[in-house]
This record gives sequence, structure tokens and C-alpha cells, in this order.
Amino acid sequence: MAEEIGSTHESLGYNPGRETVHADPKTGEPEVFLEPLLWGLFSLGGFITAFLFPITVFLLFLAPVFGLWPSDPAAYVTFAAHWREPLVRLFFFALIGGSLFHGTHRLKFMLVDAGLRGPGIEAALDVILNAIAIVGTLGALYYAVRGWLFV
Amino acid sequence: MVSAVYGLIFLNLLRTLRAGESAYTAFVEMMRTPPILYVNLVLFALLVWHAVTWFMLIGKAQPIQFTERPLPWKAVFGVNVLLWIAVSGAVVYLIFGGF
Repeated sequence: MAEEIGSTHESLGYNPGRETVHADPKTGEPEVFLEPLLWGLFSLGGFITAFLFPITVFLLFLAPVFGLWPSDPAAYVTFAAHWREPLVRLFFFALIGGSLFHGTHRLKFMLVDAGLRGPGIEAALDVILNAIAIVGTLGALYYAVRGWLFV
Repeated sequence: MVSAVYGLIFLNLLRTLRAGESAYTAFVEMMRTPPILYVNLVLFALLVWHAVTWFMLIGKAQPIQFTERPLPWKAVFGVNVLLWIAVSGAVVYLIFGGF
């Protein structure tokens, strides 16, 4: 085995699969940063949506209406009392932010698949849909920290 | 996409909570009136479907490997469903104060 490696190093004329690979190639192309970040937020939002959304929607909007829950978690007094807890604020911030980044990213590719293609159109979709996700997340952050970190 | 719709609904819920009891109660009541309640039922079914398909996808898109061979996706799906039930129970008690 050692001889094989040694002989390969010596044969510089034909050396398949052993070309020098640089960890940081200088290709002249701009580094991709935003794309993996958006896909990462999409994936995180997918987990948040899958694990947390069904029970939350069920408790707030469905169960009390059909008499499937002994109390009403969405009643003002009850919800306002729970809202004082930081964990509840963090929960709704993660819920809103995650769902917005997940849903808007998915919507973008649904629209692209529906025919809204082209660099200009896709760039516009990116701007509009990500703006909705960012502004919505910042809004959730504002409501989560207001009354807790500031009045 | 349904998740983004609910994200905006919850954002409005927090806005009305900030606005006061009458605004908050009016919004919650509006969400429970028959036309929107039926839409809610459909959207809820889609949310559950999203959760199930997401858990089915995990073991396929990102094979989980502890041994020589990755775990079968059905095993990963089963574990995720159990985890989903546990997380939902934790949400009931930690976020909504239990029964």
C-alpha cells in the first residue's frame, strides 16, 4: 500500500484524482452567503412549524369552540396572565419568526414553479417575501420584549 | 405557506393583546365565527399534514446514522412522532398552563 502511494507521488505525468485541492479556491465568484442562510431559516422554521403549530392552533382557535378543552386558553385574562412569562414570549417569537421564514421561502419556490421565473422576478420575490418575514419577525420581537425589557 | 398565514395571524393576536381586552376578544371571536372557523379547520388539517410529511422527510433527506447503516426512515418517523406528542404536552403545560 505504501509503495502504491509512493509510486503515485512520483508519477507526475498522470495523476487522476490527486490534483491539488485548495480549501479556499480563488475562483473570482462572489461567496454565497444569503442562500444557505435562508435555507437554514426555512429548515428551522419547518421544525418549529411541525412541532409547535398544531397544538397551538388547536388550543387557541379550535378546542374551546368544539368543547374539547375544559378551559379557554385564548381567553383574555388567561392569555394575558401567561403572556407575562418570558418563556411564553420566547415561544411566540420563535413561532412567528420561524413560520414566516418557512412559509415565505416555500411560497417563493411555489411561485417560481408556477411560472414566475427570471433573474429580475426572482430577485423581486426574494426582496418582497424576505421583507415580510424580516418585518414580521421584528414585529414579534417588539411585542415579545415590550412590557418586559421596556414599557 | 399556511404556516406564514398563521404567523401573521399570531402577530395580529399579539398586536390586539397590546391594544386591550376589547380588541383582543373581538379578534379571537372573529377567528371562531363559522366562516373563518371552517377555514381554520382546513388550515389545521394542512398543518398536521405538514408535520407528518416533515417527520417522514427527516429520515430520508438527512439519514441518521449511529451504526454502520443509517436508521430506516420509518424508525426516525416513529421517534419524531413520539417527540411531537411529548413536545405538544410540554407546550400545554409550560405555555398554556395545563388543563
